Amino acid sequence: MNGQIPIFVYILATAGATFAVRLTPYYAKFLNKLPRFVGKCMRLLPIAALGPLVFPGVILDFSPQWYAGLAGIAASFLIAYKKGGMILPILSSVLVTYLVLLV
Amino acid sequence: MISNAQSKSLTFSKGVQEGFPICVGYFPTAMAFGLVCRDVGLKLWESVLFSVTNFAGSGQFLAINLLASGSLILEICIGVLLINLRYLFMGAALNQKLEKGIHGPKRLILAHGTTDEVFSVAVLHKQELSWTYMMGLEGISYLGWVGGTAVGFLIGMILSPELQMAVGVTLYAMFISLFAQELRQKGVMVLLIAGFSAILNTALILVLHMGSGWSFVIAMLSASIFGALIIDEPETEALP
Repeated sequence: MNGQIPIFVYILATAGATFAVRLTPYYAKFLNKLPRFVGKCMRLLPIAALGPLVFPGVILDFSPQWYAGLAGIAASFLIAYKKGGMILPILSSVLVTYLVLLV
Repeated sequence: MISNAQSKSLTFSKGVQEGFPICVGYFPTAMAFGLVCRDVGLKLWESVLFSVTNFAGSGQFLAINLLASGSLILEICIGVLLINLRYLFMGAALNQKLEKGIHGPKRLILAHGTTDEVFSVAVLHKQELSWTYMMGLEGISYLGWVGGTAVGFLIGMILSPELQMAVGVTLYAMFISLFAQELRQKGVMVLLIAGFSAILNTALILVLHMGSGWSFVIAMLSASIFGALIIDEPETEALP
């Protein structure tokens, strides 16, 4: 951790970066006039973000027991795919990961 | 879906009602964030300040990871800016659907509450989005995120180390659950796009040792371009 700059400065700086991105589209009109292909790409961004938000973090975070996170997300995937929702999938993944870490 | 005749039905309570599942979904993820903050050495007020001022799941997790690894403030800000770039396009889509007369501070508050989940719920409405509806939707989601952060931090004090580590999977479980739902609704193209970006990101980090902020952006952008090339989408249809 960086000692010189107080943590709250980091927090407010990232808040500023986040807010700038959020506020721009409410004032900048050019975003509505982009080419169709660009619009198509934009609509796919949330799906494209899902891959790197999970991999390789889910493996690296649990190393050396790298399979623990994988077992957890496998459980949440199965339940979310079959039953939908988020709470049950998330809780099951915590339980499975916990059990695997204990073994 | 929803006809114009019902356009007056987008009230504050409608927003709260539709935002409640988001709140419930955010809570455990925010708890995970609170736990991570505690592990990294932040104080309770700093963790809550993080969620109050940022209100961005993946951005906050990226920021706290980079902060813990001793990155410079500029690197962290660029990473956060890039990971949140998607809000640019979500905001542009929402802005077109807003009712007239939302200006000044109201607009600032509304912009602060734009998240992936809020966007995907709000954008499905055919009628204009009212200020009160958006406040209900964003407010309840915000409550779940900020409340979860505080509760997570406090719970971290009583969890065993194994359980704390296991709770770290919640973020990934949340994204995988979203993925499963998308996959069920939209089919195999979701797997192709998300799989492409997952493999690319893993290769960039593990093989090329690229920083996680940059690799994330490259993987996400490449996969969306890849997706746009392989999908034959009808002109008017908008994927949420």
